[in-house]
Amino acid sequence: MEGYSLGIDKLDENIKGIRGGSNIMMIGPPMSGKETIINDIIYKGLKSGDAAVIVTTKEPGENVIDWFNYNNLEIPLENLGIVDCVTKTLGVPTSETSNIKRASSPVDLTGIGVKISQFLEEFWMKKNIRKTRLCIVSLSTILMYSNIQTVFRFLHVFTGRVKAAGAIGIYVVEEGMHDTQAIATLKQLFDGVLEIKQEEDSHYIRVVGFGKKSSPWYEYSLDGAQIELKDISNGE
Amino acid sequence: MVNSMLETGIPKLDEYLSGGIPKGKSLIYLNYPGVEGDVFGMQTLYHCLTTGNNCIYVSSSSHPNMLIDQFSEFGWPIENYKEKLSVIDAYSSLVGDISSEKFIVPDPEDVNSITEVIDHVIKEVPEGSVFIFSSLSTIMDLCGEDNTINAVQSWNKTAKRNRMISIYNFTAWPYTESTLVQIKNDIFNCVINVGGITQQVIYGQYFCVSKADWIKFQERSMLFRVLRPGGIKIYLPKILVTGPFNAGKSTFVHSLSTRAVSVDRKGTTIALDHGHIDYKGFSADIFGTPGQNRFDPIIKMISGEAMGVFLVVDSTNPENFNRAQQMLEITTGYGLPYVIIANKQDMQDAISTDDIRKQLNIPEEIPVVSTIATEKKGVFEAFELLVDKITGGI
Repeated sequence: MEGYSLGIDKLDENIKGIRGGSNIMMIGPPMSGKETIINDIIYKGLKSGDAAVIVTTKEPGENVIDWFNYNNLEIPLENLGIVDCVTKTLGVPTSETSNIKRASSPVDLTGIGVKISQFLEEFWMKKNIRKTRLCIVSLSTILMYSNIQTVFRFLHVFTGRVKAAGAIGIYVVEEGMHDTQAIATLKQLFDGVLEIKQEEDSHYIRVVGFGKKSSPWYEYSLDGAQIELKDISNGE
Repeated sequence: MVNSMLETGIPKLDEYLSGGIPKGKSLIYLNYPGVEGDVFGMQTLYHCLTTGNNCIYVSSSSHPNMLIDQFSEFGWPIENYKEKLSVIDAYSSLVGDISSEKFIVPDPEDVNSITEVIDHVIKEVPEGSVFIFSSLSTIMDLCGEDNTINAVQSWNKTAKRNRMISIYNFTAWPYTESTLVQIKNDIFNCVINVGGITQQVIYGQYFCVSKADWIKFQERSMLFRVLRPGGIKIYLPKILVTGPFNAGKSTFVHSLSTRAVSVDRKGTTIALDHGHIDYKGFSADIFGTPGQNRFDPIIKMISGEAMGVFLVVDSTNPENFNRAQQMLEITTGYGLPYVIIANKQDMQDAISTDDIRKQLNIPEEIPVVSTIATEKKGVFEAFELLVDKITGGI
């Protein structure tokens, strides 16, 4: 099975690809640009012919598509599926589109699961695409409405589906919103972690769990939709 | 006139249940995560309303304001039945939202709070009403497994006492074994499994009656699709028959089918064989493709929609096995379950199924079935094996 790259050059060089079927937690402090990094990973995947499914719990589905347009990133929309857990909660009368399916609420894990499965089936069976990136942005919102056991059960099923489909799953967690035991519980389900940290005004990213040792910390900056990694940081 | 049996409104299901659900009984739609099982409860609710029943709908995973929208997606105008429908809002308080419903659960994380509201509602609705829970799993997630199981038992007793029928949607997340066993075996009169046919992805959905204590039990399954509008519709799966030129595909399709037609020229298929089979409660449409390379696009087209594949090979002609492998690669690329048909086994120079397995490099778990299609020998055994592969032996 072919591997995946994140499309973030220095990290990719370090980890030398991610095996299909891998599930990754992305954890970092608020306002550190996690959504931009996720969108960039999605964008690079779509450009290389992969499909993508984004579960959005903070932004309506249309806003996710607008982000790509606003940043002049042309994407093949037919290969992008969005599970919108926001719009119906706001009580806005709306319907589904070919790209956007809507779950009733972040509590409706059954509905979210059905919509994810439908996109996976559509990309695999109807569009014959063998590589899909599933991103949940973010798990933290789901954890606000459901307890850790409930979310664990949900993830237990869907990390398994990601493995079966040879896809990759990236699940965003806000650092500081959950206790360490909750994070440790969830980590059991993941093959690796994309860690983000902030020191003074600088942000750093590294990958843990792929390869024998963790990648170094790379300082990064965001310029619009562009992520620029600087040289390897000296210390932790 | 309201029938003494309550129809579920799910095609075929009422027939399987000998007309529907008797008064005082409970039914659960036990849904495999990722399949559209919630629609079963919704369709039953709408059908009950249209057939003159009073219904109580417990909304636990979405705001009741959204119900009209959710149902209208399927073409079911529940707003026309306001007089017959009572909604218990077991969601709004959870997210701190305002509710305009008459019946509101003040604390959806406390199962006693739900029970109190249910007890209150029962006093206000006519005897024989139908209770439908939009998501029992959400209640279980919020209130705990044991508490919920105990509460369901008491709700079912109350319903029985009032000659009501209670119907639950439930997603079978990986709860504890004892919870799932109690749900499957003990606390409901009827269990309908709503499952997914899964390889790399869920590519088909089925339901089957796994328990119903008022009928002579016979486990039967049916594939379905969910249409918007339209709801649950029975779906006949496509099965692809492929294989090299002159392997006996058309004969195989005809010998398997209740009825079949072929488009051929001088005995060679040039477009498609098409057949239909009804066998032991399972129905399917069968499509045979021509064997020559130039027709490969047809294989791809049908593979995208098929549920399973028969690869037919001529057991006397190993020279064509390379071509058979090529065709297999095309179809297995779609992740479909398949069975190898070692045809023409009555011929003197036929090689054994073991040798065919070796030469085609077929894994052990894939059946290689010996057949003589001209005499219908082995064809139905092969069909049963493929159905088992498709449904996972359900």
